[in-house]
Amino acid sequence: MAEVSYVKASRVFSGNPPVRAVDELSLDVADGEFLVLVGPSGSGKSTALRMLAGLEDVDEGAIQIGGKDVTNVPPKGRDIAMVFQSYALYPHMTVAENMGFALKLRGVAKTEIKAKVEEAAKMLDLTKYLERKPKALSGGQRQRVAMGRAIVREPSVFLMDEPLSNLDAKLRVETRANIAALQQRLGTTTIYVTHDQVEAMTMGHRVAVLKDGLLQQCDTPRALYDRPANAFVAGFIGSPAMNLKTVPITSEGAKLDGVTVPLSRSALDAAGGLDEVTFGIRPEALGIVPSGEEGMEMTVELVEELGADALVHGAVKIGDSSQRFVVRVDGRTPPTLGQHVKVAVRDHTEIHLFHPETGERLEA
Amino acid sequence: MRRFLERHWYAYAMVLPVVVVIAVLVLYPLAQGVFFTFTNINEANIANPVLDRPASYEGVGFKNYLNVLSGDASYGAFWSTLVRTLIWTFGCVFFHYTIGLGLALLLNRQVKGRTLYRVLLILPWAVPAFISAFAWKYMFNAQYGIINQLLRAVGLPDPVWLGQSDWALFAVIVVNVWLGTPFMMVALLGGLQSIPGDLYEAAEVDGATPWQRFRHVTLPGLRSVSSTVVLLGIIWTFNMFPVIYLIAGPNPNTRILVTYAFERFFSGASRDYAVASTYGVLILSVLLVFATVYRRALRKQGEVW
Repeated sequence: MAEVSYVKASRVFSGNPPVRAVDELSLDVADGEFLVLVGPSGSGKSTALRMLAGLEDVDEGAIQIGGKDVTNVPPKGRDIAMVFQSYALYPHMTVAENMGFALKLRGVAKTEIKAKVEEAAKMLDLTKYLERKPKALSGGQRQRVAMGRAIVREPSVFLMDEPLSNLDAKLRVETRANIAALQQRLGTTTIYVTHDQVEAMTMGHRVAVLKDGLLQQCDTPRALYDRPANAFVAGFIGSPAMNLKTVPITSEGAKLDGVTVPLSRSALDAAGGLDEVTFGIRPEALGIVPSGEEGMEMTVELVEELGADALVHGAVKIGDSSQRFVVRVDGRTPPTLGQHVKVAVRDHTEIHLFHPETGERLEA
Repeated sequence: MRRFLERHWYAYAMVLPVVVVIAVLVLYPLAQGVFFTFTNINEANIANPVLDRPASYEGVGFKNYLNVLSGDASYGAFWSTLVRTLIWTFGCVFFHYTIGLGLALLLNRQVKGRTLYRVLLILPWAVPAFISAFAWKYMFNAQYGIINQLLRAVGLPDPVWLGQSDWALFAVIVVNVWLGTPFMMVALLGGLQSIPGDLYEAAEVDGATPWQRFRHVTLPGLRSVSSTVVLLGIIWTFNMFPVIYLIAGPNPNTRILVTYAFERFFSGASRDYAVASTYGVLILSVLLVFATVYRRALRKQGEVW
């Protein structure tokens, strides 16, 4: 059990110009917390995790585990366990040997290793497979062995590098819940890397969003969703993605096709002096209204029926250009292709404004 | 049966040429060789169309085998030659493997000029064996060879390397190690590169020291490559004729089974084809026994091969 801190930690890969894969990352993870690092590929999330593991050098700044500076400590001395994307199971060892390997290296007595391995195997439903080689296991079983190998160690921090990305969709959802429950039960600090924002939102106590090596925002899933700090986070978190459009702004509000969406005083103040803002609204904050009412004229181009609801993609004219919007509607009565519908903002509190150039959130 | 042929005649027709070629080039000579071991064939009684002389050799049963296996010196002292062959084989393969593995490990990391080192280290293999054999023969020359000149320069004794002593065996082993290491290195380097890097990282996180990573990740990862190249190395070295014969000639101190078979066949008063063939068959059986035992041992380790 331990807290983890990144203190302005950077990883710079030599090159011309040098690549700052992780750029002055500062992050505090509390004891027992489940923190998810999420971002698109190349955002530096895996590098950040590997820096914590000691597999990647820390070029600037420091990393602390349990209050101790481990910046220059080899992985061996950090009391961590890692689950790899490829699982990295030793192919010539049985499941039991794989799980007990770290203990064996540490010189733990055989009977104790056996007891611990069996306990972990029971927790992960692997008891039947202890004598098998990884080759003879399914993807999901291998994933559990990789988890088991980490659990048996009883480390102070778990590191997981996209552990679910090699599983099929159904198993992924199932395993996601299992990992979250397991972490809850063990209460071990966990840093989890994924590119899948759904995984991040469902598993993490807090989620840190990275882009180009820079930390964009670190907050609870709810807060990330409700108050994204910038346009990138707004577009990255949530599925389908938030509608983000650059629109002209006047003293009354944001001008969309035929409608002016009124904005709060504080938002207008924050946008003071700007002609345009990046206007963000989630698909579920939009709705289709009867043709008589005020709203944006939208031509339906695609309807994705998801069962409970449907996603309507369509084009809206803003100024001279045609912009695509996504609207979440009731699944039972979706509009048909090519139909012209009126779309209006359903919930005015769910409007997000961002600076058109910097992408920073406007308003307090 | 007819339906079988009707359905598959095309496949058999395609395979037939290869079967014929193998039968003519491999099976027929092999059968003839085995047949000769039961006769007293030699230069004096073989059919000679030039002299218009018909063959006059006759069957002698197992006499050749009995003579050879008695270990009699006039039949090449089979048992002591076998022991020397085994020393030669395992000595060479041991150093091939260990030196090759060492070099492969060095080359498998990010070093500057890695490609250059690789080319340089493969060179001994690319040079025709007889050229390097002659080069080494001159280097081992007792008086003018560079090796003895260096030894004299630092005040060490300078043995007659290729004379009638065990130094000759030592010398040919050195040359063959030099020649055979590149193959092992290339094969093991390929094996090393097929070991996924995250296994090493996992082992590092698990707390393994560099030696433990070598022992628990590298060696098991190389096992299938190793078992193949070691078996090949043993078979090739067991029958490595050119190195020994070109460097040491018909020196009894470097005599192995295959060089003796050659001597018996091509030199001596009456080129004794029968005994030479007997040696050939015995070499084949030793290697067959060895390969079988070796494969069985591997299978016991759970190796799929």
